[in-house]
Amino acid sequence: MRRVVVTGFGAVTPNGLDAESFWKATVEGRSGVARIEGFDVTGFPVRVAGEVRGFDARTYVSNPKSLKVMGKNIRFGVAAAQMAMENSGLKDRPPDPARFGVTMGSGIVPTDIEEIGDAVLASLDEQGKFDIRRFGEEGQKRLFPLWLLKHLPNMVAAHISIIHNAQGPNNTVTTACSASTQAIGEAFRILARGDADVMLAGGSDSRIDPLSLVTYTLLGAVSTAARPPGKVSRPFDRQRDGFVLGEGAAILVLETEEHARARGASIVAEVVGYGSSFDAYGITKPEPEGRGAAQAMERTLKDARMAPSEIDYISAHGTSTILNDKMETLAVKTVFGAAAKTIPLSSIKSMIGHLIGAAGAMEILVSVLAIRDGVVPPTINLDTPDPDCDLDYVPNTARSMRVRSVLSNSFGFGGQNAAVIVREYAP
Amino acid sequence: MTRRRVVVTGVGLVTPLGAGVELNWERMLRGESGVGPITRFDVSTMDVRIAAEVRPLPAVPEDASAPHLGIHSRFALVAGREAWVDAGLADARIDRARAGVFLGSGKGISELEWLVEAVCASRKGNEPTHYPAFLRAGLTSFLAARRVEEDYAMSAGRLAAAVGATGPHWVCITACAAGNHAIGEAYEAILHGEAEILLAGGTHSQIDLMSLSGYSMLGALSPSNDEPHKASRPFDRRRNGFILGEGAGIMVLEEYEHARRRGAHIRAEVCGYGNTADSHRVTDPRPDGLGAENAMRIALEDAAVAPDAIGYINAHGTSTTQNDKMESEAIKRIFGPKGEAPPVSSTKSMIGHLIAAAGAVEAIVCVRALETQTLPPTINYENPDPECDLDYLPGEPREAQVEYAMNNSFGFGGQNIVTVFQRFSG
Repeated sequence: MRRVVVTGFGAVTPNGLDAESFWKATVEGRSGVARIEGFDVTGFPVRVAGEVRGFDARTYVSNPKSLKVMGKNIRFGVAAAQMAMENSGLKDRPPDPARFGVTMGSGIVPTDIEEIGDAVLASLDEQGKFDIRRFGEEGQKRLFPLWLLKHLPNMVAAHISIIHNAQGPNNTVTTACSASTQAIGEAFRILARGDADVMLAGGSDSRIDPLSLVTYTLLGAVSTAARPPGKVSRPFDRQRDGFVLGEGAAILVLETEEHARARGASIVAEVVGYGSSFDAYGITKPEPEGRGAAQAMERTLKDARMAPSEIDYISAHGTSTILNDKMETLAVKTVFGAAAKTIPLSSIKSMIGHLIGAAGAMEILVSVLAIRDGVVPPTINLDTPDPDCDLDYVPNTARSMRVRSVLSNSFGFGGQNAAVIVREYAP
Repeated sequence: MTRRRVVVTGVGLVTPLGAGVELNWERMLRGESGVGPITRFDVSTMDVRIAAEVRPLPAVPEDASAPHLGIHSRFALVAGREAWVDAGLADARIDRARAGVFLGSGKGISELEWLVEAVCASRKGNEPTHYPAFLRAGLTSFLAARRVEEDYAMSAGRLAAAVGATGPHWVCITACAAGNHAIGEAYEAILHGEAEILLAGGTHSQIDLMSLSGYSMLGALSPSNDEPHKASRPFDRRRNGFILGEGAGIMVLEEYEHARRRGAHIRAEVCGYGNTADSHRVTDPRPDGLGAENAMRIALEDAAVAPDAIGYINAHGTSTTQNDKMESEAIKRIFGPKGEAPPVSSTKSMIGHLIAAAGAVEAIVCVRALETQTLPPTINYENPDPECDLDYLPGEPREAQVEYAMNNSFGFGGQNIVTVFQRFSG
């Protein structure tokens, strides 16, 4: 098995349009959550999200024709990949195309309400009912002929592979909130077994749209709290009452150690373990005891051949829902035993919200940077302790400390659990 | 440590030819077509009015508790349960933490109708959408439970819950390559020691109004509405696009020693996997077929066999002008011209293109070909195309001595997945 290292990264986030400004905001404990500006949410019970602001895809995609077939999630992913390539030094010295691949986490791509609205209106009969025959005659003509290309989740990885001439393994993982952790885990496996030299791996997602907002609201999953926007996402706090939607992309450059060293790349960290499991419990609720989550962490530790005591920091899933944060706390205790209370664990979702298919990649990026800079980010808005959540969540202020290895958790809506371990690189 | 081996101990299918592997296999050997007029919704004003539908939709025990079950989950549950039972796992005592699910999956179908109320409430003439009204109307007209069931990951989740598999869990969508992709990654996961048993395959339906419209506008579908049985004609000179199909193909992959110890019936061995990307365009495959060729070469290397060991290729063979030409050329560059290259067939000629399920259904076809030493035909191959000049097994099945079979899947967007299966002889 080959060793796998991280040699670059890029991100588009609610808290900065590149990885370093995102990291700075994260360490400073700033919130990227604000009132939704993408569409008018006046009077709606949920009015806040972690939106990406000020992003212009034209900085990264010069061809306007390409932009037409790229929805928001594709644009974020393409931009993050571009930055990751530059950051790793591969932009000017590209790898062997056949040994260079892409794995991305993604998911349902939201419907464009403006576009579908035109088609629906043109398909109504005299009574205002949807008439499928009119859709065939009139409605579908109102759609952009290539609309389907914007709605296939695999198109993020496809565009990235085209732009960077990555002809090696290519995949799109769609396990909801665990998707991008699994995409990074899979890239790690592909490199370890020798099927590629370099992989762009991460996630890209955007669910801040009217349809998704209504759906998550109806599910009772997002917070409807009447607080200042920056205070709504509060993982592990007793007053938490749901998550906040976020959007963006994070992509890592993963590389075999041999390849990275041969080209003199700067190595930021090493990926050493990956594991996944399934709750087989409910469909929208985590298993309350956190057995599945614990199983994923245990498998990942075993895969890394590490003891729980070797973990210095846990990048939590920590969604700010009542169930998840309690369950995750229990699962960490199951795995780490008495030592659980001494291991710092924090949730960056307190600052940027839940990026769904991009969440895990964002958290693994933070894990890598925590190792690089010797600082762990805080869980902000942790003001009221919850007796069910009694670990060290690094409340409100970042902490400087030696970070040699980090466990990053992701637990999907539906019971998919995954974890990855990154470690300080030592030759 | 000796290298682990991965074998197939169970198979399950639901396709336009019916539910059940044996029924499908018999009908495929008879060269039957599952293509017909679309009956699920009114297509009278659509340009393309034919598809390969699963009729009737099979019921599942989950119907009692999950009224909004997605069609992708329904197919996965039917095929997955068949494979599980076929593998003798229904009552077996196994470590369920060492059993998991890897699926290539589409999502459930979202209809336009349920948006109507919200759209109408928020649009006046040519004015822009009034979003507060849209959101307000959405709160009363949308069904969240149905949206949840639509998710890509729900099929694998439902299946894993049905069999109690709490081991590794993974869902991918690499378009038309996803089902074969899941089998390839599951094979790697078992080799790596992550699990002993994985249900692996694909499930999908895109026979819905929006997908039909979308693919039709892309010019990808055959418009031969007047002769549905003849519309899917891979490698034929008169081919003019693919036919949407639907269903699922799921197999039980198992570590060899684990299967042997519990006395499982072993149907075949998985021995090769290759994964590449075209890196060309999002709309069409590389005309030179380099991505497809490389995936085949990598799979052969992984299986440690020479090209002449392959006795059958189940082609991606979509019946589009571009794919079938590109694929034939890529095959010839590796295996040589007709006479040297092994027989090739496309079962899409009978069941259409099952998109994320296609590669998995075709993997099961490869397994059955190895078990029965019989190769299924390509139907509707009537007019030779000088650009597609291999032995496509036209019209009739053929008995043959086959030790290895190769399964090709090439996804829309440029993902190429190839797997290799070996006959199991004890």
